[in-house]
Amino acid sequence: MSWLQRMAGEAPVPVYVARGIDASHDDLAALALDANIELVATPRHAAVLLVVGTVPAKFHDGLRRLHDQMPRPATTLWYRSRPLPEFDAPHTLSKTDRLAPTLTDLYRTLYGRTPQPVLLPDRPPAPWRGLGDYGQGGEGMMGGTPYGRPMAMTDDDLRDGLQLDALGFTLGPFFGPWAPGLLMHMSLQGDVVQRVSVQSPPFPQAPPTVFGAALRGAVPIADLELARARSHLFGLAHSLETAGLRSLALRTLAHAARLRPGVDIGLMRGWLRRCGLFASVPPGCGQLTRTQAIRIGGTAARAAGQPMDARLEDPAYRRLGFSVIVQDAGDCRARWRQWLGEIEQSLALADRAAGENVYTDQTEVVETPRGRWRRGAGIADASAVLEELLPGMEWSEAMATIASLDVAAGEPGEGGEP
Amino acid sequence: MDLLALLIVAVIALLMAWLLQRPSLRRPPLAPYPQRAPFLGGGTVDSHAWSRFHVRYYPMTLLLIAFEMEMMFMYPWAVVYVEEGIKALAEMGMFLAILSVGIVYGWRERVFRWQ
Amino acid sequence: MGTDLLLPVVVLFAVLVAGVYLVQVFDGIVASALSGIPARDHWLAPLRRGAWLWLQQDITTEHPDALNWRLAPMVYFTLAALGMAVIPWAGQVVAADLSTGIVLWGSVEALATVVIFLHGWSANAVFPLLGAYRYVALGLSYILISMFVLIGVALPAESLKITYVVLSQQELWNVVRQPLGLPLFLIVGLGIAFWGPLNFADSADLAGGTAAEVSGPHRLLWTVARSAMLVAFSAVAAATFLGGWLGPWLPGLVWMVLKMLLVLAALLLLGRVLARPAPERFLTFAWVVLLPLAFLDLVWAGLEAL
Repeated sequence: MSWLQRMAGEAPVPVYVARGIDASHDDLAALALDANIELVATPRHAAVLLVVGTVPAKFHDGLRRLHDQMPRPATTLWYRSRPLPEFDAPHTLSKTDRLAPTLTDLYRTLYGRTPQPVLLPDRPPAPWRGLGDYGQGGEGMMGGTPYGRPMAMTDDDLRDGLQLDALGFTLGPFFGPWAPGLLMHMSLQGDVVQRVSVQSPPFPQAPPTVFGAALRGAVPIADLELARARSHLFGLAHSLETAGLRSLALRTLAHAARLRPGVDIGLMRGWLRRCGLFASVPPGCGQLTRTQAIRIGGTAARAAGQPMDARLEDPAYRRLGFSVIVQDAGDCRARWRQWLGEIEQSLALADRAAGENVYTDQTEVVETPRGRWRRGAGIADASAVLEELLPGMEWSEAMATIASLDVAAGEPGEGGEP
Repeated sequence: MDLLALLIVAVIALLMAWLLQRPSLRRPPLAPYPQRAPFLGGGTVDSHAWSRFHVRYYPMTLLLIAFEMEMMFMYPWAVVYVEEGIKALAEMGMFLAILSVGIVYGWRERVFRWQ
Repeated sequence: MGTDLLLPVVVLFAVLVAGVYLVQVFDGIVASALSGIPARDHWLAPLRRGAWLWLQQDITTEHPDALNWRLAPMVYFTLAALGMAVIPWAGQVVAADLSTGIVLWGSVEALATVVIFLHGWSANAVFPLLGAYRYVALGLSYILISMFVLIGVALPAESLKITYVVLSQQELWNVVRQPLGLPLFLIVGLGIAFWGPLNFADSADLAGGTAAEVSGPHRLLWTVARSAMLVAFSAVAAATFLGGWLGPWLPGLVWMVLKMLLVLAALLLLGRVLARPAPERFLTFAWVVLLPLAFLDLVWAGLEAL
């Protein structure tokens, strides 16, 4: 290996993460916090494609696209996931504590390996049609498929009625800023979303195991509330990353990793306010109507002023002095404020509960960070709300709204009852 | 003379930048189609990206042109300002005030929003 | 002529190359400090990343405008070098002492918008295209703020030549004399290199924006060009607001470099600490708040100069 290759091998490993079903937040947070690993936004910047969790067969083509879009030299690591059949000698891993070292080893030995050929057929995306030399010509002003793809056609506009070309694309199941598995076809005019259609809802996310255990028997309230606070911190970190504040997002993840009852988040609240996260979206961005809020449930409903919380039905919480926090507006800022408020509340409750060693009284229903979970029924998927919410929004507002909402279905994972 | 120096600096910088892109004598083979597809998180795109893009800030650019003309006026004004004294300041103040009315009008007509 | 052009050009490119490296190092230090994650080695990390990018495959998209796509980072880097060519490093050490140096910097800013737009548009892919068009809104707005602030600086110098601007600060630096100027100019600096809160071109919600489809040496050059633009901007800010080479005891060049590092540190810190606003909000803010503040700065400078 030349000295350049040796030097390149010492750099932080650029990894693109494709999350499947049961990709746990904790593993990915541990990766993000590792100084030797850099999670990148696009496979063009990556050397390793990390596939976490099972990927259903209908999304295998998307995975192949991601694999082919990586510049060579590159490799793939399948973590708790079944590799695609095209791979002869795939790199797999199932042990958690070996994830970062395995990635580093794979990266360091990249140059010595023969590159994996592209998985999809080497053909233009659409067969050339038309009369002219470059595939152009046909009916209408822009008939034919020049260079293998059609040209964009005009379409209506929501905001000012000027009919210019609409860009349509399907934003895939492995898009970083979104929940894993969410596949939406978007039609943009300029950078304002005109139409959104959810082609596949996000993968069901199991809440942390302690919530499933709460439906089978009493659990310490301190554990429950800590898990809730940690989940909200992950949501805040995700929103910070989408707003361009990667270092502060990592700081939030570090807070989540060492969370204990009674920790004061006043400092964090301070720099969240000063960094301008709340000012980054206009007021009223991503406002939910009452029906939409009730449909999504959980934190989003409380942020929209609906005092729905399953903890109200639990006498143990009432004894600890629990009262529901709600916000007035149902917009992005309110949801972020709601997360912050609930984190503070959860940490205070956990502190009091740990001190008195209080257990939950209620085992029929539990309030997860995603919403109300009754024993025997899952949490319904609410991604159809995005189809009503996003049209008319400019791109960054749409991304901030999706980051502030959690619309995945909640399925009982390990530890719950189907 | 100054322009020659600028030209020399420009040529050296272009050369440095070109060399940093690792140019090779042989043209590299074109990557296969799947590798060249646009990144969309695993999704597909319906058409070429080149299109008649609806630029939402178009009215702001018209206001910009008015201010650019003011800027052109201010370059020589800055050089002779100290000689001319308070009269020059008053004239420029008037010019700025008239253009500021344009900003206020634009603000009220939502010119600075995404149309 | 030959020899008294050689020294300034050598100094220019030495400072540019060292500055690009230092930007990456300082950015890493700021990121580690803010996130609480200590990096392995701050000083070698940019070189290692550069080595990896040099060896990576340089990818193209399906049907890009190949000439403009490769040319855009080159021209962006050249614009940074041209902007630095009119900056005096010490009394007589300046590559091109243009009598209209400030106008040249204005044209550098205008062309930077064009070049960044071309980098995104040429790729013929969705995310770069959106990044490019979003950036132009910002690009057209910061030009005005920058020019009013720089004309305010030119008033006491009675000239558009940057050497005279530095000389006019012999009693008092412009950062003290025109207090609104440097904060406004720092915002312009963040805009011209689309850094931090004003990163509309390569933003995280567009999966990297204009850099989403870019890899290998092309990406290396684009990163180097952005850092070079930050360095060039810090040179202009140091010369026009912080007194350039003026200062006791140390030689002029050392003072100039120290002041540049100060401005760079401020920009890199701001870049990691402020969230990116929605482009619409920033546009309104720039035209309704920042531009009148620039007018105010100009009037203040005018009254001060008399």
